[in-house]
Amino acid sequence: MTDAVQPGDGGAPALGEARIDGRRLRSERTRRLIIEAYIALVRETGRMPTAAQIAERAGYSVRSIFERFPDLTALRVAVTDYSIAEARANGALRDLDADRLTRIRSQVTQRGGGCERWLPLWRVLSSDLSGAPDLQQRIGMIRQLIVMRMEMMFRPELSSVSDAVRKKIMLALEALLDFESWARMRELYGLSFEEACAVWVKAIDRLLPQTPA
Amino acid sequence: MPDVPPIKPPRIDGRRLRSERTKQLIIEAFLSLLRETPQMPTAVQIAERAGYSVRSIFERFPDLNALRIAATDYSLAQALALAPPRGADGDRETRLRAQVTTRAHTCERGIALWRVLLQFADQDETGQLRQRVARGRETTVSRMELMYRAELSTLPEDERRQLLIALEALTDFESWARMREQHGLSFDEACEVWIHAIDRLLPPTPVPVAASAAA
Repeated sequence: MTDAVQPGDGGAPALGEARIDGRRLRSERTRRLIIEAYIALVRETGRMPTAAQIAERAGYSVRSIFERFPDLTALRVAVTDYSIAEARANGALRDLDADRLTRIRSQVTQRGGGCERWLPLWRVLSSDLSGAPDLQQRIGMIRQLIVMRMEMMFRPELSSVSDAVRKKIMLALEALLDFESWARMRELYGLSFEEACAVWVKAIDRLLPQTPA
Repeated sequence: MPDVPPIKPPRIDGRRLRSERTKQLIIEAFLSLLRETPQMPTAVQIAERAGYSVRSIFERFPDLNALRIAATDYSLAQALALAPPRGADGDRETRLRAQVTTRAHTCERGIALWRVLLQFADQDETGQLRQRVARGRETTVSRMELMYRAELSTLPEDERRQLLIALEALTDFESWARMREQHGLSFDEACEVWIHAIDRLLPPTPVPVAASAAA
């Protein structure tokens, strides 16, 4: 995920290397602060920040940004990687072996929380993917992770139907639990977090096949 | 007999007609460019495609936002004309197929414009693009209310609202685009996904009173 040297690579470090590592560590810290500044600005404004805004928020010069990221697209890619790692760290699977309704509620609450937290960033990161294959690949990966999670949470129900039906259900679930689906419930229809969760819980319950005995 | 004045045919304002036609050709050029490359075309590209000068565009539209708004109105009117509600009195499966096919065609034709609308809606200080986006969504929801009236009528008000929100999410433009662009489904395969899902989401169709009495 990062360029940091892994411990144990290439044997014991010489003194010079240890000094370089210190500089490298500081550079990594600067990178992280730039990424965090980007995320904070997007959450506040809902817009893609400029290099000058990011630099100001992070407390560095614009030059510092471009010493670490060749361009703003590379920074967007790094922000995406950072966000995926954070979302994965905070989104452990829960209630995997629970009854149907508990699993649906658990999945919906987790996904609703994720949408709430990441929606502004998702919009900025996925808004213009032309000429950014690395970013396209990350966006695809995020979608896959969301789908994989639902497959795990609803494995008992999905295992009871044919591959063709399972595929149809997964496509429908993906559409239903999309970031923008959540955004419309909250922004357009004015639903509270709980009300929006209730819409998803009910719909998933209808979409899923019967839970095998 | 009194003299009856001859009936004069209404005078056709030729210049106005030509101007309207130019407007329409500019809008159509804009829409056709959007379908080819999913990015907002420049005024030069639109002018070249329409066969007019850039100046002609800005004589009819004060800026590109006004052109986007006009193109949206044109497309909404076209979508309504091309997709009148069909099969609203049919059985459940007929209604499902009719609604899904109509919606799918709308998505197929309109996804490029829809994306541009969403992209520019936040920047449009007049709020007119946001209004059109909202109107587009309302039209979709109203159509589903009409087509699935029988099933929806069996639900209490809050559940009906919840279900319509879920149906709207399911049949969103981007939901269609994902099936076609990312999952590589054919038009018919993508329709089948929606039909299957809507059929599961909807409550059972109530039995007509006459039929239930006969039983």
